[in-house]
Amino acid sequence: MTTLALEGLNVRYGAVDAVRELSLEVKPGEIVGLIGPNGAGKSSTLHGIMGAAPVVAGDVKLGGRSLVGRRSEDVARAGVALVPEGRRIFAELTVEENLRLGLAARRTAANGHAFDSAFELFPILREFRRRDAGALSGGQQQQLAIARALVAEPDVLLLDEPSLGLAPRIVDLVFETLATIRERGLAVLLVEQRAQRTVALADRSYVLANGHLRLELGPDDAADTDRLIAAYMA
Amino acid sequence: MTLAFLNLSWQTVADALSLGGIYALMAVGIGLVFGVLRLVNFAYGQLIMAGAYSIAYASSWGWPTWTGIVLCFAVVLALSALMDRLVFRPLRTSSPAVMLVATFAVAFLLQSIAILAFGQLGTIASSMGPLNQPWDIGGVLVRKIAIVSIAIAACCLVLLQLVLTRTSVGLHMRAAAMDFTTSRMLGVRANRVIGGAVLISGLLAAISAFMLTARNPQVTPIFGLDDTIIVLAGVVLGGLTRPIAATLGGFTIGFASGILGGTLPTNQTQYLPSFLFGAVILVLLIRPSGLFTRGEALVERV
Amino acid sequence: MSLRRLPELLGPALLVLAAALLGLGVSASLQTYFLDTLVKVSIVIALYLFIGNSGVLSFGHIAFVALGVWTAGVLTVPEGQKDAIMPGLAHFLLHTNVGNVASLALAAGVGLVFAFVVGLPLMRLSGLAAGIATFGVLEIVNNLLRYWQSIGPGLNAFSSVPQTTGIWQAAIGAFICIGVAYAYQRSRFGRQLRAAREDPAAAASAGISTYRQRLLAFALSGGLAGLAGGLYVHLLPVEIDALSLDLTFITLAMLVVGGSGSLLGAVVGALAISGLDSFLSASENGVDVLGWHIDLPTGTTEIVIGTLMAVILVLRPSGLTGGREVSLPRRRHLSDLQKARAST
Repeated sequence: MTTLALEGLNVRYGAVDAVRELSLEVKPGEIVGLIGPNGAGKSSTLHGIMGAAPVVAGDVKLGGRSLVGRRSEDVARAGVALVPEGRRIFAELTVEENLRLGLAARRTAANGHAFDSAFELFPILREFRRRDAGALSGGQQQQLAIARALVAEPDVLLLDEPSLGLAPRIVDLVFETLATIRERGLAVLLVEQRAQRTVALADRSYVLANGHLRLELGPDDAADTDRLIAAYMA
Repeated sequence: MTLAFLNLSWQTVADALSLGGIYALMAVGIGLVFGVLRLVNFAYGQLIMAGAYSIAYASSWGWPTWTGIVLCFAVVLALSALMDRLVFRPLRTSSPAVMLVATFAVAFLLQSIAILAFGQLGTIASSMGPLNQPWDIGGVLVRKIAIVSIAIAACCLVLLQLVLTRTSVGLHMRAAAMDFTTSRMLGVRANRVIGGAVLISGLLAAISAFMLTARNPQVTPIFGLDDTIIVLAGVVLGGLTRPIAATLGGFTIGFASGILGGTLPTNQTQYLPSFLFGAVILVLLIRPSGLFTRGEALVERV
Repeated sequence: MSLRRLPELLGPALLVLAAALLGLGVSASLQTYFLDTLVKVSIVIALYLFIGNSGVLSFGHIAFVALGVWTAGVLTVPEGQKDAIMPGLAHFLLHTNVGNVASLALAAGVGLVFAFVVGLPLMRLSGLAAGIATFGVLEIVNNLLRYWQSIGPGLNAFSSVPQTTGIWQAAIGAFICIGVAYAYQRSRFGRQLRAAREDPAAAASAGISTYRQRLLAFALSGGLAGLAGGLYVHLLPVEIDALSLDLTFITLAMLVVGGSGSLLGAVVGALAISGLDSFLSASENGVDVLGWHIDLPTGTTEIVIGTLMAVILVLRPSGLTGGREVSLPRRRHLSDLQKARAST
C-alpha cells in the first residue's frame, strides 16, 4: 500500500487554469475528501492524476514515483483506480464483462475468485452478473463502477462524485462501503458535493475553490461544515 | 425444387450469398478500425487491390497458388500496419474532417502508385482459375468459389465473434470502441487495442482480396474500389458504431446486390448506386446510428 | 465593408491576373494548362466558400460542377449536332439553345438551386455524416448523369460545345468567384457562419442559426461550382468520368494544401498544385527545362500530389497560408464571434 502525493499540481485546459498549486497527501488507510462548488477544479484534479488532463506544473507521486506524463492506462496499471463521474459503465456489456474490464489494470494474475470480494461488498452484482449493465438502476451502476475499480486491486482509489443523482439509501450504502474500503488499507481520495457527509467520513477534507485549496476541515467540523465554508468564502 | 418462379437460379443465390459474405468481412474490417480510431478508412479498397495484385503477380511468376495467397497476406498486413503508423496514428487527435481527407489522400496515393507500377490495363490472377469451375451438386451447377467463400466468410465471422466475446483483447476492443477514454483509465492499453483492430482489419482485407480475386481474376488499379464504396454504404446503413450492425449492413448490401444483379436486366440495375446512396442519405438523416443498432447517435446535429 | 480588408480581395485577384497574363504569353499547347488552372481556381474557391467558412467537409461539390457542365453544354451544342452526341435527349432540350454568357449564368443558377435543395436536408449534419452524405450526393448525380440519356450525353463526351473559354473568360470567371467569396466572407452571413464554426454553443446563444448560414453558404458555393462547370465545358470536351472522385480529390487537395481557412489559401493552393500538376504532366510527355530533358513516367503527377497532400495534412494541417488572408499589418481584429455578438 502506497501514499498518493500531489505536489504543487497545476492542471490547465487551453487557456484556463483548472487547478493551481494543489498539494495534499493521501496515506494508506485514509480517506481524504475534496469538496467545493461546481467548477472548482475537483474533477480536473482527478483527471490530472489519471493522465487524462494536461498537467503543466507540479507533480503527482505514487509511493515516491512520479506519475506525471504517463499514459492513462499506465497510471491505472501502477495501482490507481478511478470511479468516474457519472459512473461511465459500459451499458452494452454485461455486469461480468464490466468487471472483467476492471481486471485490465490488475498487477497480480486474476484467478477464478477475483470477483469474490466485489460480490461480497455488493451482492446485487452477483445476482445480475449476466445482465446488460445498462439494465441496472443508477444506484446499482454506481456499485458496479466501484466494484470495477476494486477488482483491479489498486493502492489508490479516486472517486468522482459517487453520490451524484442517487437515492439517500444508496448514498448511505456508498459511504458505508467507503468506510470498509478504508479498513482494507487503500488510500482514498473522495471528490464530493455533499460537503457535510464527506467531512464526517473523511480523515481530512479540503475545500477547493477556483482551483485553489482554501480550507482544511476535520471530522469534528462536520456539523458546522456549511457555515464554515460560507464564512470562508464570503 | 427450383427457384424458377422468382427468376432466380441456384447459381445466383449462391453468388449473392457469397458476395454478402465477402462484403460482411470487409464491413467488419472497416467497422473495427472505425470503432477504435473513429476513422473511416477510405483506403481499405487499396489494401484489397494490393492483395489482389500479389496473387496476380505470384501466378504470373509461376509460383504455386498457396504462395500467392501467403504473399497476399504478407503484403496486405504490412501495408495496413504502415498506413496505421504513418498516417492514422499521427492524426488520431485531429478533427474528423482532417482524418477523412487524410484517408482519402492515402487511397488516391496508393491508386496512383498502382497505376504507375502496374499500368492501367491490369493483370490476370490465373491461379484462381480452378475456383471458378463449377461443382455439380445434385444436378445444379454452382461455382466453387461461391461455396468456398460462403464457408470462409462464415468461419471468419464465427471466429471473430469468439475473439471479440471470449478473449480479453476482444473485450478491450469492444470497450474501447464504446468509450475509449474510460477504457484507458481502467488500464486498457490503447496501442494494443488499436494494433489489434488494424491487424484483424488487415487479415480480413487479405481474405477479401483472395475471394474477390477468385470471383474476378482481372486485377486493375481500381480493383476493389467499387466494392469498397458499396460496402461503405452498407456499413453506414447498418450502423458504423457496432461491429454486428456493420456486418449485417455489409452482408445485406452484398446479398441484395447479388440478387438484383443476377435477376434484373442491366438497364434497370444501372441506377442501383443512386438508390443505394439515396438510402444512405436517408439513414444518416433519420436514423444516423444505422438500421441495425439500438439508436445511439454518432453524428452531431445542429 | 471597410477598405482595410481590401487586400483580402486584391491579393487573390492579382495572383489570378498574373496567371492569366502569363497564360497569354505562352504557346497554344501550354495555354491549355493555364486555362485548366484558372477553371480549377474557380472550383476550389467554390469549395472554400463552404468548407472554409463552415468547417464542414463536402465531398459532393463536383456534383454541382457536373450539373454546370451539363447545363451549359446541353444548351450550347449546335442544334444540328445535338442528335449525334446526345441521342436520347428530351425534346425541349433538343430545341433550346442559349448564348455563351447565358449558358454560364444558367449553369451557375442550376448549381445554386440544386445545392440549395440538397442542402435543405443535409445541412443539419456535421463532421463524418456530412462527409458521407455529400459523397452520396456525388455518387447519385454521377450515376444519374451517366445513364439518363434524356438530359445529356450520358457516357459520351461533350464534343461539339463552342470553345469560348479562353484566358479572359476563364479569368473573369475566377474573378467573379473571388468577388463573391470575398463579399460573402465580409458579410454578416459569413461572419455568423465562422462564429458558429468557432464556438457552436456560444453562437447559438447569440441567436445565430447554424443551419441557415450553412445552407446559404452551401447554395452559394453550389452556384460558383456550377459556373466553374460551365467554364469547363466551354474549354474542352468533358465527359462524366472526369467529373467524379479524381477531380474531387485534386480540388480538395488544392484547398487543403493552400489552407482551407482563407480565400488566399484556396487561390494559392489551386495555382500551386495546378502549376505543379501541369509541369509534371508536361514532363510525362517530355519537356526541356534549362537545358535538361525531363521525361517522367505516367502517373508520377498523382503520386507527387497525393504524397504532398498527405504530408501537409500531417505536418501543417492549416495549409501553406495557415488559413490567413492577405492583410496590411495593423492592430488585432475582434474575433468573428465577438463581432457577431456585437451585430445581433
